[in-house]
Amino acid sequence: MSKYLLIVLAPLFGSMIAGFFGRLLGNRLASLVTIAGMSVSALLAIITFFEIAVGNGDPVRQEVWSWIVSGEFRVSFGLLIDRLTAVMLIVVSGISTLIHIYSMGYMAEDPDQPRFFSYLSLFTFAMLMLVTGDSFLQLFFGWEGVGLASYLLIGFWFKKESACNAAIKAFLVNRVGDFGFALGIFTIYQVFHTLDYATVFRMAGTGQYPQTVDFLFWGPVHTMTLICLLLFIGAMGKSAQFILHTWLPDAMEGPTPVSALIHAATMVTAGVFMVCRASPLFELSETALTVVTVIGAITAFFAATVGLVQNDIKRVIAYSTCSQLGYMFFAAGVSAYSAAIFHLMTHAFFKALLFLSAGAVIHSMHHEQDMRKMGGLRKKIPITYTVMMIGTLALTGFPFLAGFYSKDAILEAAYAAHSTAGTFAWTLGMIGAVLTTFYSFRLIFMTFHGRPADHHSYDHAHESPWVMLGPLMVLAVGALFAGMLGESMTHLGWFKSAIFLAPGHDAMEHAHHVSAWVKWSPFLMFLIGLGMAWLLYVRMPELPGIIAGHYRATHRFLLNAWYFDRLYDRLFVQPAKLIGEGLWLTGDAKIVDGCVNGVANLCQRWAEQLRSLQTGYVYHYAFAMLIGVLVLMSLYT
Amino acid sequence: MMVVDVIFYAFAAVTTLAAIGVVSSRNQVHSVLFLILTFFSTAALFVLLEAEFLAALLVMVYMGAVAVLFLFVVMMLDMDVSDLKAQAINHLPLGLAVGAVILLELVVVLSHSHAHVAAASTVPNTLAIGRTLYTQYLYPFELASLILLVALIGAVVLTLRERKKVMRRQVISQQIARTRSEAVELVQRKPGEGA
Amino acid sequence: MAVQLPEMNLVLLSPEILLSLVAMGLLLMSAWSGKESRGLIGTMALSGIVLAAVVLAGLSSATPSATMGGHFIDDRLARAMKWLLLIATALPLLMSREYLNQHGLDSGEYYVLTITSLIGAMAMVSAGSFLLLYLGLELMSLSIYVLAAYQRDQLQSTEAGLKYFILGSLASGILLYGTSLVYGATGTTLFTAVANAIKTAEHVSPVLVLGAVLVIIGISFKVAAAPFHMWAPDVYEGAPTSVTAFIAVMPKVAAFTAFFRVLLEAFSALHVHWAPMLQLLAVLTLAVGSLGAIAQSNIKRLLAYSSIGHVGFLLIGLTTGSQLGHQSVVFYLANYIFMSVGAFCLVLVLNRQGIGDQISDYAGLAKKRPLLAFLMSMFMFSMAGIPPLAGFIAKLYVLMAAVKAGLLTLAVISVIFAAIGAFYYLRIVKIIYFDVAEQPFDMEVSLSHQIVLAISALIVLVVGIFPGKLLDWSLASVQSLL
Repeated sequence: MSKYLLIVLAPLFGSMIAGFFGRLLGNRLASLVTIAGMSVSALLAIITFFEIAVGNGDPVRQEVWSWIVSGEFRVSFGLLIDRLTAVMLIVVSGISTLIHIYSMGYMAEDPDQPRFFSYLSLFTFAMLMLVTGDSFLQLFFGWEGVGLASYLLIGFWFKKESACNAAIKAFLVNRVGDFGFALGIFTIYQVFHTLDYATVFRMAGTGQYPQTVDFLFWGPVHTMTLICLLLFIGAMGKSAQFILHTWLPDAMEGPTPVSALIHAATMVTAGVFMVCRASPLFELSETALTVVTVIGAITAFFAATVGLVQNDIKRVIAYSTCSQLGYMFFAAGVSAYSAAIFHLMTHAFFKALLFLSAGAVIHSMHHEQDMRKMGGLRKKIPITYTVMMIGTLALTGFPFLAGFYSKDAILEAAYAAHSTAGTFAWTLGMIGAVLTTFYSFRLIFMTFHGRPADHHSYDHAHESPWVMLGPLMVLAVGALFAGMLGESMTHLGWFKSAIFLAPGHDAMEHAHHVSAWVKWSPFLMFLIGLGMAWLLYVRMPELPGIIAGHYRATHRFLLNAWYFDRLYDRLFVQPAKLIGEGLWLTGDAKIVDGCVNGVANLCQRWAEQLRSLQTGYVYHYAFAMLIGVLVLMSLYT
Repeated sequence: MMVVDVIFYAFAAVTTLAAIGVVSSRNQVHSVLFLILTFFSTAALFVLLEAEFLAALLVMVYMGAVAVLFLFVVMMLDMDVSDLKAQAINHLPLGLAVGAVILLELVVVLSHSHAHVAAASTVPNTLAIGRTLYTQYLYPFELASLILLVALIGAVVLTLRERKKVMRRQVISQQIARTRSEAVELVQRKPGEGA
Repeated sequence: MAVQLPEMNLVLLSPEILLSLVAMGLLLMSAWSGKESRGLIGTMALSGIVLAAVVLAGLSSATPSATMGGHFIDDRLARAMKWLLLIATALPLLMSREYLNQHGLDSGEYYVLTITSLIGAMAMVSAGSFLLLYLGLELMSLSIYVLAAYQRDQLQSTEAGLKYFILGSLASGILLYGTSLVYGATGTTLFTAVANAIKTAEHVSPVLVLGAVLVIIGISFKVAAAPFHMWAPDVYEGAPTSVTAFIAVMPKVAAFTAFFRVLLEAFSALHVHWAPMLQLLAVLTLAVGSLGAIAQSNIKRLLAYSSIGHVGFLLIGLTTGSQLGHQSVVFYLANYIFMSVGAFCLVLVLNRQGIGDQISDYAGLAKKRPLLAFLMSMFMFSMAGIPPLAGFIAKLYVLMAAVKAGLLTLAVISVIFAAIGAFYYLRIVKIIYFDVAEQPFDMEVSLSHQIVLAISALIVLVVGIFPGKLLDWSLASVQSLL
């Protein structure tokens, strides 16, 4: 077994051992087994990173095994490790390992630890499959795998009804995205007759494919635009982009380490990774790139505005994640893929850090998540405060921290794209930067500064154990230096053949030569945001309430996340329920809710109705058959 | 030719009318009698086709055995189907409409067809049937016998109620092996209380 | 006048002949032996099936040939399907013995009828003529009608049997009428002769097409394709669970083979006529299968709708008219047997302790019996088509065939319905894992259940990961078609 394969499989082994023998091993041992698996994976990932990304190793391609070989059809699983994958490997394995360790502390009192660690490792395995795959099929496999793991982990505390609902919501919304994604892969197969990256990209590059294709009921459409847009729908679902973003905030019902790993650092970035990986396709469709840019920009702005008013500490960070993913997408949209991946990497560090510190705060406050009930915690939990401050500064782009390099690179690239969409994205990105700083410091000020709102929990607040603080510190180091060390990534050609740029798509090159005001304006935005947050939450804490009172409609609009949930409820959920009820005469929408008790009662009622329906209906059945005969006869003879 | 045509249409009309009579008559005994008439006129149609073996079969098996058995059953069971009929009337217009459409389609399709006239054979058809049934169609024939067996088993399984066997058989060894305690019991009863 | 006997190669029929002898032997045995030897009859029935499998394996390799006056066809497809039929009979029989014993159903006739229906199904899969197709179908169905009503003291069971019988007779009538029209148009009932007659005729007569439509409708009833599916939920629910498990798999295999024979051997020249019709049926069936299941609370009814959904997929594979499509159908059927048998086996296991058939009865199974819960989830996931399980590959192949045949719209529709269908499979998993346990779940899993569960779980998993062998087998079995 090659070491590359072991990177992927070690978490799977850990997961299987913990999953099947969890009860035998006990909580402690089960978690240690998965951590051991993760550590092996992370260590090998680091070695690989040094070989391929730091050193000048060639991309590795290995066929691992032939899965289906029948007739002319063959599907094989393989590994493709180039610089793009190497970066992802270190992010996924590294952060996952830290979060496994952190979870030992965070989940210490949970009786179901083996299950938790098993799911967590399973997720890591699927995510590693996703990034190391050498074909779209394997990408899809990993894609569905992480979806499943995410579903299981969001619903981990299944006794909480809200967690159950959130899990189902995440699953369903992702289904919409996955549907588009699957269609995209179908289309690729139909056009290229293979799903292998190398072959598809080569054929796409040389134009060996039909330029237009008939799609369902539409007439000829541009092949590449169709494929890319379909793939992007998948990315929108997975990466919670505007329109398909509604599941991400709800997903915070899961345990905090899960939020940190899946819903901040890794899974949600799968969409960005996919767009970058498929850059040879996206580069061929201006339309698709424009759509990616615009959707990304809107998300970056939209999520930031919603983040301004949330009171749940995790939801603020969730919307922040959503917003930062928007930045990554519009970077990809203006062909600054390297900036997108760079930001993906730095973001993974500081966002995981933020989530885990939020987890530490929640942990110390006995599972209180409402920021209005916190305050003044700075003195009680100084270490957490310090690392969270580092995370916040990194996110908001304080000079020489991680976000400073990566976010600036994105904004400069958008500016340097000199296209309408690029400028649009730059403008929204700039506003978003102010908002980001504002809500981030709002969080810090509300949580750690001011006077404690709830004295009881304040008195009981305590610093987290070292097993939790250790990973936080490692991540803090990452948040401090990842930007500085990784900046070379944005130089042209660093990713070698992994990323393809069409001629004329040179935003990234121009980004290094923009004028100084463009370079420094994000810092200005940082200062403005910081100032406003300080004014509203430290200087005059009564002001936010007054403003909210004056602009009640706006406030509520933001608080309800632009009413998207209610809109979808009206548009899709209610009609679906109606259809369900229509289908079953006395259908009760409760069953759709899934997590409702009293299903037994309902079933009883149904069973009785069923029985009363059954007598004499043989006429109806026979009549239906005859109608069927009639229709088929008339249609087909 | 003319005479044959007239006879054919006469019997065909009788078959159809009798079939309507089966489902429409109030008295169930009449229904069964109509059924017998249907069988009979169908048998006559077979004779017209020179398939006298089938005709004889129909008369003997269906009329002689099945329908008469049916008649007995109907007379023994007092079924009241008036409710059922009343319901059926409600659905009649719809049923008739669908039936009419299906009929129309069949007529349209079938009127386009070329009739395949069976080759006139010099062999008596009883002999012909025997020859093909036990050679060319041996396998279907055997399978059909299995179907009849299953029908038989099915009828028995679904209807036969096993009664407790009341068998009085003398088993001498058991009688000899009886002990006193098994056979008799002494009970103390005061006079007047009874058992 | 000398009587001409057709060429009769009885060796090829030896599995069927053997099974007939076993059936009649068992009938005699059950007539003369008492209650105490009932277990023995079950064992003998099973060994009879195993023996038939041995005989089938012992036949020399299948070169396509017809015997018994062309009514019996022996080819790779017939052999393959007979294997599936034997498995689809033996496994349900093996796993329902405790159930039968508990419910007082284990009289000899139960096994006799099971075997006669198997004989009917085997006759169907190697039928060479419409006549034989009909006879096989009747033999199979008649036995199953009786089995469905076997619990004659239960109103539900007799009602199910009666309903199935009445509607089945209607369908048989339609099939027979179609056959007579085909005979009228071509003058023969042999598939090959019908195909020749169509080829040599200068134009396709509408009578023939009408006949074909009616024949297809007749078979569609047997596979419960919408709108001829309405019997299925009632019958699945009402019939004894052991019978439900049996009728969920065995008749489907036989009927889909009948589709192969009729559509590809007799009516292959009419592809333009039947393909759109089957596509319409497939869409309807998918819709009914996935939407109907959502509101179900009874696991047997739910599995009925689930099987309807699978039939929709199978129909898609059939309509492609390509070898890949036919391969996908055989492959799907093979996997469907194991998924369905596995699921029903768990229903039987859990049913034994008086827990009803309601899905809510399974709440919290994972807490008490994690292994059973795991297996149930595995079968559900496989049915939903989630990798890396067998059901995923099966669906993938059908979709691939559809896309290759240019039926992209159909493929998309089927994916939509598969996604809707995934919801109710997932709901069962959710109930098993996330709901609070109300039942003690303290039943023992008997050896025969362990065997059946182990086999089906292993196949679902192994085929999901290494599908190559089974795919090759499916491909080989359909190569003689077309």
